[in-house]
Amino acid sequence: MIRRALRQGLRGFLLTWLTLSTLFLATRAATDKATLIQSTLEGNARLSGLPEQLALTQQLLHRYNLDRPLFYLSWQPAAGWQWHGSHNQYHQWLLQLAQGSLGYSYQQDAPVIHLLGRALRYTLPLTMLAAGLSLLLAIQLALWVSCRPTARSLMLAVLHALQSIPLVLLTVCLLLLLANPDVVAWFPAFGLGDAETEMNWLQQPGYLLYHLTLPVLSLVLVSLPALTIQLDGALRQELSQKYIVTARAKGASRSRAVRQHALRNALLPSITLLTELLPSLVAGSVVVEVLFALPGMGRLLAEAAATQDYPVLVGAAGLTALVRLLAQALADMLYQMADPRIRLSQ
Amino acid sequence: MKHLFSGLIVLLWGSLFYSCSPRTTNTDTGTVRIHWVRDPENLDPLVVDNSSAYEVANLTNCSLLCGDDSTQEFIPWLAESFPAVEQHGDTLLVSYRLRPEAAWDNGTPILARDVAFTLKVMNCPGLPIEMDQAMFGFVRDIRLHPTDSRQFTLVCLGVSPDHIRTSGDYSILPEYLLDPKGELRTVPLPRMARAAATPVVQAFVKRYQALQLAKHPERLPGCGPYRVSSWQNGRFLVLARKSKWWADALPAPPRQLQAFPTRLIYQIIPDATTATLALRRGELDVYPMMPAGEFARLQKSAAAQQSLTFSSTDSYDCLAVNFNVRQAVLRDALTRQALSYLFDAPALNRATQQGTARLSAGLISPRIRQYYYDSLPLPQFDSRRAAALLREAGWQQQKAGGWLRSTRHNSRETLQVRLHYRAGEPAFETIGLQFRAAAATLGISVELYPTEQSLLTRQVRAGATDMTLRTLTGNPFSYDFTPLLHSRGIGASNTSGFSNTLSDQLIEQIATTEDPARKRKLLRKFQRFLQQERPFTVLYFLPYRIAAAKRLGKLPVTGIRPGYAAARIRPVSTR
Repeated sequence: MIRRALRQGLRGFLLTWLTLSTLFLATRAATDKATLIQSTLEGNARLSGLPEQLALTQQLLHRYNLDRPLFYLSWQPAAGWQWHGSHNQYHQWLLQLAQGSLGYSYQQDAPVIHLLGRALRYTLPLTMLAAGLSLLLAIQLALWVSCRPTARSLMLAVLHALQSIPLVLLTVCLLLLLANPDVVAWFPAFGLGDAETEMNWLQQPGYLLYHLTLPVLSLVLVSLPALTIQLDGALRQELSQKYIVTARAKGASRSRAVRQHALRNALLPSITLLTELLPSLVAGSVVVEVLFALPGMGRLLAEAAATQDYPVLVGAAGLTALVRLLAQALADMLYQMADPRIRLSQ
Repeated sequence: MKHLFSGLIVLLWGSLFYSCSPRTTNTDTGTVRIHWVRDPENLDPLVVDNSSAYEVANLTNCSLLCGDDSTQEFIPWLAESFPAVEQHGDTLLVSYRLRPEAAWDNGTPILARDVAFTLKVMNCPGLPIEMDQAMFGFVRDIRLHPTDSRQFTLVCLGVSPDHIRTSGDYSILPEYLLDPKGELRTVPLPRMARAAATPVVQAFVKRYQALQLAKHPERLPGCGPYRVSSWQNGRFLVLARKSKWWADALPAPPRQLQAFPTRLIYQIIPDATTATLALRRGELDVYPMMPAGEFARLQKSAAAQQSLTFSSTDSYDCLAVNFNVRQAVLRDALTRQALSYLFDAPALNRATQQGTARLSAGLISPRIRQYYYDSLPLPQFDSRRAAALLREAGWQQQKAGGWLRSTRHNSRETLQVRLHYRAGEPAFETIGLQFRAAAATLGISVELYPTEQSLLTRQVRAGATDMTLRTLTGNPFSYDFTPLLHSRGIGASNTSGFSNTLSDQLIEQIATTEDPARKRKLLRKFQRFLQQERPFTVLYFLPYRIAAAKRLGKLPVTGIRPGYAAARIRPVSTR
């Protein structure tokens, strides 16, 4: 048991290191360093007109340690392989990582870990609320349609139609319908309230929920169809099994047979879907966060990609990749718990 | 457990209903909520690198001089008057005197030694001073007046008139807060750059870094009328008016020393649709830099007209077509002129800017009447003229379509061009499509390349593009075209690769001429030259559109970013 845990831990560590190293090397090797600085300067109207830009670019590259070689080894067509020793970007990044630091953001001059922590404070309540609601609604809907075969085809048609709508369209529609003074302005158009509002402890959860209604609704409407359709399919399959016929023969109502007998078995394939949701819980949703002006992980990632803020990009993408690895390990564990007959091959 | 869960649900519902009921807010009539697309990200006064951060810096700090759109000149801010200037060889001596009323928040007067301290901080090794060095590195020394503690002279290397204005265009930092014992006074300014190893400088760097000003600007209150009262990155930033600001004591404060709103709340909303909804709902008071489509739609809405006012002012930013003259087909001016005739600037103005942009004959904005050469023809669409110019350039139209000409090496080249522009910009897409359609009528092949910004920057730098659509940011103060068109700018900002001896000379003369009459003559000559050579074709100067709540009255709009003077917004009820 201990050996297995150790082996899994070591494998996880190696995978994490490989993932983060690949991300680091790939992002830095793919981008021209001078272009990165040039883009920064072009965003600044006061600097873009300076003739001394080349010297400034060199100084900024030095500040960000981008004037060093990328890796221990490099290939030059003229000189062949060259060894740079530990004076390289990767070595320095690895040393920082060993000390628990993901570096500093180029744009914000703040530790990447702080930025990720701050973004997660906005993203996690939003995505977890949406995931929880989606799951509850999906189970209730799937149970409801399995007990009402006549309504099933209509419900499935609606769900398929909903699934075909892109998130951005759905979100804009919700915004223009429910937060628009020309239609109905029931919900706020953006953010988590303004800076001026004073409230007591009792008002706070409701105030947050009120502001999160439209963002959560957007995410729920997007994830609900896939979960419900999958669960409905699994329930249909379970309902045709002999143990359900036996339960019905013993006098269990259809509803009882579905809830008490079929649901647990039908939920088994949903474990994969649910664990697949975990990385997106952390990664957030760019569309929803941009439209509702929430400074979460999705927006942080998108802005870091647009401004080539490598440390933030590697940190955020690395965190999402790590959660994916964890989600896979969790899925393995949940499968064994849900059905003890399942054994993972070594 | 079930009861606990039910109880929790009831509590949440109760809270939801309670929170939806009218709330207590401390919003007063003096509060102004302004839309920002982007967070300032970094509020270290040494690293002001985006427009939001620059706006905050100008409200929380003062510099010696500031740009004024109405006079199109720099005017005194902390300085008592415009500085006196003496020229000694290639050195300028710029003498200032500070306003006697100017004081820090604790009542200490702002003195020449604060300016000396600021310059030392901007030269302090170990701090993020690269950008300050690039902008203000020409200030080599400061000489304090022996008897008048408010008077000083800056020693500037180079005789450009721009140096006079720029020498006063940085926030003055408080010595009493950052260096209370005055330890940096022992290190002369010229020696700062080499004093990295001295204990005094090292101790100062540590103290400065410990303040973490990038994220905690409230730890360094400046001498401006506002202080940062709260900042949640990516959400909002609140500036509160100081109850006692030194300029309040002036009997009739000039424009640059007026600050009316008691509170400025900047709401960060990246998406235009959401920001427009927020404005309509009264969650925002000012929406600057509004996209043309949204602005026109709101202007037509009867409901919006009741609650909003609309302002539009010409800016100094222009939309231009950049020709890469290093490409073989674009090497001659006639071809570039011909291709310029295929852009239908008046129609594009109507299509992309609702007709509110201002057509211009060149790089100088028509707003600058003093220097704009209004006798030059405005850009116009003329495919016949384009065809004639192409023939003049040696191109021959083929019966099967296309244009060919012989090169010096007796080979044939085909007239086909690529047009690059930033992806996701509707105006650029419209312009690209119009140009391609117009070129197609003459049989010229045009390929459109909407490109991601960083990739586009890389390609433009590498000279791998033919024609590029770009927005050029300008101002009415500086006429130094060195980065854009001088041979020294090639490899950096001179993306057209255009340069010749005549243009280099003209650019140098313009940059060093202070006399307005001579400058006017030189600038006219330069505009005529550019219209002949066409390294750029300016399509139009962009307007800044602002929609604002009616309660704010007439908005003080400017042609300089951000397009309004936040401190001079005066809500009607507070007048």
